[in-house]
Amino acid sequence: MVKVAVYPPNSLILADLVERKGHTPLALQKQIRQKIKDPEIDSPPMNITEEDPIKGLKYAAIEVPSGVRGRMSIIGPIIDEAEAAIIVDNAPFGFGCVGCARTNELSIFCLRKKDIPTLEVTYPTSRDETMDMVNKINSFLDNLNELDSDNADNADNTDNEDNE
Amino acid sequence: MPANLCITPELGSEDMDPEVTTRMIVLGPRANVSESEVVNHLHLLNLPLTIKWTCYGAMITGKEKYVMEAVEELRKLDPYGIFTKERGFAPGDPRRCRGHRYGPREGFHQMEDEFLLLDYVGEALRNPREVTIEKKEPVSLEEFKEVVEESLENKD
Repeated sequence: MVKVAVYPPNSLILADLVERKGHTPLALQKQIRQKIKDPEIDSPPMNITEEDPIKGLKYAAIEVPSGVRGRMSIIGPIIDEAEAAIIVDNAPFGFGCVGCARTNELSIFCLRKKDIPTLEVTYPTSRDETMDMVNKINSFLDNLNELDSDNADNADNTDNEDNE
Repeated sequence: MPANLCITPELGSEDMDPEVTTRMIVLGPRANVSESEVVNHLHLLNLPLTIKWTCYGAMITGKEKYVMEAVEELRKLDPYGIFTKERGFAPGDPRRCRGHRYGPREGFHQMEDEFLLLDYVGEALRNPREVTIEKKEPVSLEEFKEVVEESLENKD
């Protein structure tokens, strides 16, 4: 099972397709749930604490607006945890939950820069394009299965060598 | 009266439990089941879950193992018409629920966009087939010249 980061991070279609193939989608909702369980954080417009822009410094420089750093404090751990990524390009306005173009650019840049298998698909506008997108995602996820089993075999071999 | 956008919720023990998770069950436009069938099926599973009937399908909250069990059972009803995703806020949370505030719920527009594609996605999962997408290319210079010359000739 591979942890797959999806972008937009709250996408229903991407998360569902990843789950159907037995992988774990790294969705933003999990991070949000951790935040809203904190009894010290009351309401959505104010649920970024002063700690968050400081945490965001790991991903963006101090000159970067605090809004970007605050968002990166939530999205950043997803990027760190990702073992593979699926990114949707050219999505219409309103597709995605981040609400900040610069954070989107930075997150996609971080995912591309990370040395993990990445699939970039274009936002579909027709039946054939959707079919093509789903086919690409499914074959990418199937290949991840092979990679995962290869890695597991290598890990087993390493353990055996260590035991010997 | 202005909408209170900064509601402080009274969090119960379930809300604070790290094992508790919420899932949205979204039915595609051509799903073979209705929202009521989904909710009835969920109740008949007799799992310790909170189930909410919604316009797009249902929302379930509970311990992760029960939620995943319910999702697996539910998918059997219509494997290509039922889609699920996790949700951060519990059903009826005053910070998100429209019963306590104005306007569309955050995340509505994203779901609206994705709902339009769910039909095609379901079809792609049911009958996967190879498709070739024609890439739109700009008009070549020669073709453009021909069109301009033709229109100039016609003008004369």
